[in-house]
Amino acid sequence: MKISIHRSSRGGRRPAAVVALSAVLALTATACGDDGSGAAGDKGADGSGKGKIVFWDNNGGVRTDIWKEIIADFEKANPDIDVQYVGIAATEYQSKVDTALQGGGLPDVGGVGAAMLAGFAAQNALEPLDDRLGKSSLNDRLNKDMVASLRAAGGGDEKLYSIPTSANNGVLYYRTDLFKKAGLAEPTTWDAFYKAADKLTDKDKNAFGYTIRGGAGSIAQALDAMYGQSGITSFWDASGERTTVDDPKNVAALEKYVGLYKKVTPAADLNNDFTKMVAQWDSGTIGMLNHNLGSYQDHVKAFGTDKFRGIPQPAGPGGKRVQVSNPVDGLGLFKSSKNKAAAWKFIEFATSKEQNSKFNRSAGQVPSNTDAAGDSWVSEAEPTKLAAQALTDGSTTIVQLPYYLPDWNTISKTDNEPAFQKVMNGSMSAKDFLGTLAEQLDTAQKEWNEQKG
Amino acid sequence: MITKDVETVAPPPPAPVADEPPQRPGRRRRAWDEAPRWQIYLPLGIYLLFTLVPFYWILLFALRKPGSTSLVPWPMTFEHFEKVWNERSFGTYFENSVLVGLATLLMTTVVALAGGYALARFDFRIKRAFMLALLCSQFVPGALLLVPLFQIFAELRMINSLGSVIIAETVFQLPLSMILISGFIRNVPYSLEEAAWVDGCNRFSGFRVVVLPLLRPGLIAVGSFAFVHSWNHFLFALMFLSNQDKQTIPVGLNSLMSADSVDLGALAAGGIIAAVPVVIVFAFIQKWLITGFSAGAVKG
Repeated sequence: MKISIHRSSRGGRRPAAVVALSAVLALTATACGDDGSGAAGDKGADGSGKGKIVFWDNNGGVRTDIWKEIIADFEKANPDIDVQYVGIAATEYQSKVDTALQGGGLPDVGGVGAAMLAGFAAQNALEPLDDRLGKSSLNDRLNKDMVASLRAAGGGDEKLYSIPTSANNGVLYYRTDLFKKAGLAEPTTWDAFYKAADKLTDKDKNAFGYTIRGGAGSIAQALDAMYGQSGITSFWDASGERTTVDDPKNVAALEKYVGLYKKVTPAADLNNDFTKMVAQWDSGTIGMLNHNLGSYQDHVKAFGTDKFRGIPQPAGPGGKRVQVSNPVDGLGLFKSSKNKAAAWKFIEFATSKEQNSKFNRSAGQVPSNTDAAGDSWVSEAEPTKLAAQALTDGSTTIVQLPYYLPDWNTISKTDNEPAFQKVMNGSMSAKDFLGTLAEQLDTAQKEWNEQKG
Repeated sequence: MITKDVETVAPPPPAPVADEPPQRPGRRRRAWDEAPRWQIYLPLGIYLLFTLVPFYWILLFALRKPGSTSLVPWPMTFEHFEKVWNERSFGTYFENSVLVGLATLLMTTVVALAGGYALARFDFRIKRAFMLALLCSQFVPGALLLVPLFQIFAELRMINSLGSVIIAETVFQLPLSMILISGFIRNVPYSLEEAAWVDGCNRFSGFRVVVLPLLRPGLIAVGSFAFVHSWNHFLFALMFLSNQDKQTIPVGLNSLMSADSVDLGALAAGGIIAAVPVVIVFAFIQKWLITGFSAGAVKG
């Protein structure tokens, strides 16, 4: 075998080309980086009220378009401020902010809903906004209940760390065409709900009465069904230290609700997160679905407006309707911002009448700006109108979930969603599940009370 | 000039028996040689069905009109593709992913080649410990190192730069790539390199002229693995890149899902855009990939 070692011109050019390409790629890729400054504890600065601010949307996706529209309007009204939008999926938002809190790189403004507020506030990441709101024209134009909800969720120091943008509410969506065909009455009571779920199920034809949420987000939905049926109106007993989740009435309600699984629901519901649940309701033959206002537009796309309705949860004993609270969403100003004046201008602008109305119309949610809540579209979108009524007219008692507990997200998601699946597949009793949940909640509440002193 | 030390001559094959098909020497007839074809194709067909149905579902959502519940994508529409490419910046994400993928491929291959050569050809005191450390590094999940990596890149002013993702991806790809490459290099007889030195090469040119061409399957395997992994990897891009115009395809896909609502058509179209380059890469290199991985893994 003879080996030729002469250098061909082609062979010589190849490594040089590879090295050159690597260099170009590396230079391109490393250009324009920054130090990601802005971590928990940074005091930031008020700034000149001009320049660039970064906004992290805590629910990027279908809301991206409307945020970009609002930002374009803002930049037109404030030509010396440039807003950089970053849409982050809701599922990843907490971890992204937590990493930035440790390592730096926090934005100036971020979406901060009630469910995440306690954790961020506990890490000293957010700027109190009471003074700025007090001096703002927004002050008397925000829904007082939403402001109170965010104030309560903020860590117990009675400060406001997030300006509300919208409220959500649990909705029972049902297929009017299927109900009419089966001669069923509207599911306005829990008895009517169970009756309809049973009657609409025909497994041989792949038709089901209901789809239950067994995957991510299952606990809040189960709590809604429990309190709705039991009629218990408070999450804590009179002492404020003992939760009511394991009350015998709630245990009985959960047993009945979980009993729907596989009897009137698809077996695949064990892993149902909202995406799968909404997708199968929109594309299959399922009578009813519990979700919130956020998926209304998806159902309109799938059925139009004449084949389904979205109504508040069914009424329980004595015609009394009880629902658990949905987290109020809002905008927070991060303490590390070096341009707080411009960031506040953006928050003010985004929650003004016109922009708040535009945003909530697109998201199908209840506006926080009281002037926007009076706009005609609110009464035209039936689920939003009914939800707004339920939240304000006294017909519904809202059980406030303890979003203020720093451990709430861990307890209501990581720790107990797998256990709820065990309840669904029969390997754990509803009583044991709720007993454990109650124990964890009582401990978290006790720790919280001790921290508050 | 190099000659083989020993010329080996294979014995002549036995004469075929008249009524039986000829068999290669040393090859035993196996049960499946005589199995009816349906016993082979039916399980394969069922497996294929399970594999292809999800792909069909993605195509269906991507190509049918919004709101349609039809089981066939007709009338066909490309509006979801237009939407994600133009309105959701998938054109930019695609460019960024290509850049990250190619740069990771090049850096991983070049560094793994150098490291793999050292592991294969040199004996040094801590070689075993080094190999053990390389293997152990595979057990450390990327999420565990997020905050330290974030702080390092922040010090280097590389947050919001694709360079941070490329470096992180390369670092996480290197251990396995070096182990694989060292296996390939060990399969190349050292005497070939020695012969090249006798003919006037130095170590580098001998490696380039003699060894490198023989490593092609291994390099393709390692390079494609690095490309596909960095193409699909989500975590580093999510954490280190915040500017929308720097993000990559997996982050873009994830950001199509809101907390309460999902545009399934757009998500499916985005999924197809994300999958196509990987499918094309695999279609072209599958032959090399299988050869490469088996050679590096088994004979290493």
